[in-house]
Amino acid sequence: MQDKADLAFSLLLPIVIFALMYFAFGGASLFHGTAHVVNEDEGGAYSTVLLDQLEAIEEVDVELLTAEDADQKLANSDLLMVIYIPEDFSQNLAAGEPAQLLFKQRGNGGDEGQIVASLVRGVAEQINLQFQVYNEVNLALAEYDVPQENINITVEQYLDQERQSPTVAVHEETIGSSPDPVNLFLPGVVTMFVLFAITISARAIVEERRKGTLERLLTTRLSVGELFFGKFLSNISRGFVQTLILLALAYIVFQIFTPLTFIECLVIALIFAAAASALGMVIAAVARSEDSATWIAVFFTMVMVMLGGTFFEIGKGSVLYTISQFSINTYANDAFKTLIAEGGSLGDLGLELGVLAGVAVVGLILSRILFKVMPGGK
Amino acid sequence: MAEEFLVATDLHKSFNEHKAVDGVSFTIHKGEIFGLLGPNGAGKTTTIRMLATVLEPDKGDVTIGGHSIKHDADSVRALIGVCPQELALYEDLSALDNMVFFGRMVGLDGKEAKEQAQKHLKMMGLEKRAKGRVAKFSGGMKRRINLAIALMGHPELLFLDEPTVGIDPQSRNNIYETIEGLRDGGMTILYTTHYMEEANRLCHRVAIIDGGKIIALDTPHNLKKKIGPPDKVTLEDVFLKLTGRSLRD
Repeated sequence: MQDKADLAFSLLLPIVIFALMYFAFGGASLFHGTAHVVNEDEGGAYSTVLLDQLEAIEEVDVELLTAEDADQKLANSDLLMVIYIPEDFSQNLAAGEPAQLLFKQRGNGGDEGQIVASLVRGVAEQINLQFQVYNEVNLALAEYDVPQENINITVEQYLDQERQSPTVAVHEETIGSSPDPVNLFLPGVVTMFVLFAITISARAIVEERRKGTLERLLTTRLSVGELFFGKFLSNISRGFVQTLILLALAYIVFQIFTPLTFIECLVIALIFAAAASALGMVIAAVARSEDSATWIAVFFTMVMVMLGGTFFEIGKGSVLYTISQFSINTYANDAFKTLIAEGGSLGDLGLELGVLAGVAVVGLILSRILFKVMPGGK
Repeated sequence: MAEEFLVATDLHKSFNEHKAVDGVSFTIHKGEIFGLLGPNGAGKTTTIRMLATVLEPDKGDVTIGGHSIKHDADSVRALIGVCPQELALYEDLSALDNMVFFGRMVGLDGKEAKEQAQKHLKMMGLEKRAKGRVAKFSGGMKRRINLAIALMGHPELLFLDEPTVGIDPQSRNNIYETIEGLRDGGMTILYTTHYMEEANRLCHRVAIIDGGKIIALDTPHNLKKKIGPPDKVTLEDVFLKLTGRSLRD
């Protein structure tokens, strides 16, 4: 790590990645949807109330459409659900008649549509409640000469009070930020980070060769074994420190670890970084240029990321599953998921840790042998 | 006669079918500057790489200070310093950091490495640039650092592989003066070059190498005497006479 800018970038990178994770998953609410509404009761008092109440919901935006537009979009599957407020909506309610909202949807309306529909139902129930209270108060006071304006003010005050202090209240308590997506994505982000150590390790020897410093180092008292082990340790350190920053930030902000699981995750990160670094050293031993080292490393990194369950789950029993068992990412991902998402401990990870440690040791020995037998090696 | 410090015996090295070094033998005495003179591709660098334990000879052996490069390379590396033909520096580090780093690699502790680095930088006229990034240095300054690094750890035998290639006259003179100072201090040096005046000025003895073979070996004076009056002929003339072509061909 000779370049200070390089060092600074290495340390900054996990912070930037964490910031992206925080903005992606750190908000109070994950859902934000749009209610697509056709208001055929334009100007109606009660349709206006309904729309105002919908717009007051933080998680929902309201988009008004014409009936033609909405039908066209539904037909093209551009929308999965549209809420229709019929022409007689306000008129019926004013006359004390029941009114109806119409949900037109493709299939089940999609996840967003279902959540929006449920929020709309909530608003409709509130309006129902409001009407019931008005009707019952009006009915009870019918024989007394109470001005309608007074009744309205009193009922509104009662409803406000009820909204603020409902009989059955729901209390929300936030413990850190929403952790589930972090549980899901953090293992993948961490393993991808460590896998970059392959590329950096792979370039380690060819960079020294290009600079001419490899040959100079080989004429000092430094043995080739020491040289390889030094590069290996340096790359582990980089990968481990980056992972440490990432996990520490996740610990502090998302509070997804206990102190013990945090330390256990660091142990996995260390062993995984060793395995990745050793694979990088194997590439370093055979590569003859920085470009070839980079591309071989990128190829292996991408294949391992794809097969390791970072982006998608691979079903047991498939050919791909068998192939995925050759990716160190698979074992690292499984280990992190067991600890972070399933509440396991290091004791449950004998196979995973054994494979990763084995790859580290065998990779390092193999890299030394390959360096000796390759042309120009020693 | 001083003791024989380096003895190279029948060295051979081929790359694929090309014989880069073909039966080279010579000795270097303690305190001697021995020149290996030849055109590009003659086998000078391959010979140095074998002597410096970077390449293993296909055949033959070398002993340095009584240690075989084949059987006791670690002991050999403890005796040598190498200034490679290509610059071998970490450009992102300062001159001082480069020297301290390589000092540590030859077994010096941190304090010794820093002391030696400062001493050698002063010798090279670069003490004021000690903390400057090597990337910002001129070619000549980099060459001087390249040589200074080879001196770290006070090696008993110094390999200088064309240390003045492509540099300005000021840096070249500085390097000459440094080598002359080392010579006067009794250091043993193997010096490769294809510049006649360097060999003439610096070397006690010169081996002329061509096509991987040594074709003549003697003092510059004696080599020149073989083809004419030593004050009238040059080593270039000697090479021309021996091979039928110019050193710069």
